[in-house]
Amino acid sequence: MSIMEVSTLTTIAFWAASAMTLGFAAIVVTQRDVFRAAIALAGSFLGVGILYFILSAEFVGVVQILVYVGAISVLMAFAVMFIQDIASGSRPSQGRIVGAVVAVLIFAALAFTAYNTNWSTMDEITDPVAVAALTEGYVEIGEGNEMTIVTTAPESSTDVVIENDGVFVDSTSALGVSLIREYMLAFEIIGLLLVASLIGGLMLMRDPPQRDESEQETGGASV
Amino acid sequence: MTIENVQLVSAALFALGAYGVVSRRSLITVIMSLELMFNGVVIAAVAFSRFTPAAALMSGDPVTAEAIRSALTGHVFAIFVTAVAAGEAALAFALVFAMYRATESVEITDAAEMKN
Repeated sequence: MSIMEVSTLTTIAFWAASAMTLGFAAIVVTQRDVFRAAIALAGSFLGVGILYFILSAEFVGVVQILVYVGAISVLMAFAVMFIQDIASGSRPSQGRIVGAVVAVLIFAALAFTAYNTNWSTMDEITDPVAVAALTEGYVEIGEGNEMTIVTTAPESSTDVVIENDGVFVDSTSALGVSLIREYMLAFEIIGLLLVASLIGGLMLMRDPPQRDESEQETGGASV
Repeated sequence: MTIENVQLVSAALFALGAYGVVSRRSLITVIMSLELMFNGVVIAAVAFSRFTPAAALMSGDPVTAEAIRSALTGHVFAIFVTAVAAGEAALAFALVFAMYRATESVEITDAAEMKN
């Protein structure tokens, strides 16, 4: 299959995944039935996950499907089922027209910026070691952190590099190393944050009668 | 598929989420729309990582492993944002439940009084 065909297929897949994401997102923000909105939200998250795979961010795509589609969507569905107030549905608020205007303005500003910025491209990477590491994954770390190409890619694949727009082939292992080296502190702090939100959630969810009882007990003890 | 196209999709998802946050009364739908906005931002970060070269790879210095890994900064950002969003969703729903127990309602207009 030629490079042209691959890039055309990628483009088709990209627009299909985008249409899926945005279509489900539109259902989420317009649907009155909250449960249907929750299901559409799962579809939208799945579309975003597919977009990550198309953008060659495999690990982020897997995390997206595990965390968003697998966990947050289920959390939403449980929330909808626990709260019996769905009969009235999700009514639109008075700020609807203002919200639409603001959303259109945000979209216009972001789209204008995207199309009027002179983005640098992957072609500007000229170092052969960097190109090989990004597009072939065949590099070796030698003495003093110097990198050398182990298996030299054939000459013709230089064109593939440019056509592929500098895709990072071995992103998952590099991401793992990155998380425990450059971003070690942030990684630990994220763990702390998750524990804190877990404990905070449990504190908020405690039964109020139980708390009143304990307050009465302490009050009685002091009297 | 160019970076402009991906940014367009990201902007559209963010704008849809912003509209949902403002235009809905139910707190649950507002939180769903917030998650959509998170996703729009993360798509932009991953797209930057995919299409624009890392500065360390264009400086002309000898390429190091750190420089290669710096091409993945957008992915790292995406993972951290996902983790923060997961914690935020859990806390937000705990708050919604607490409010529902106190006021028997999940509508934003009834949330003016958060005191017990």
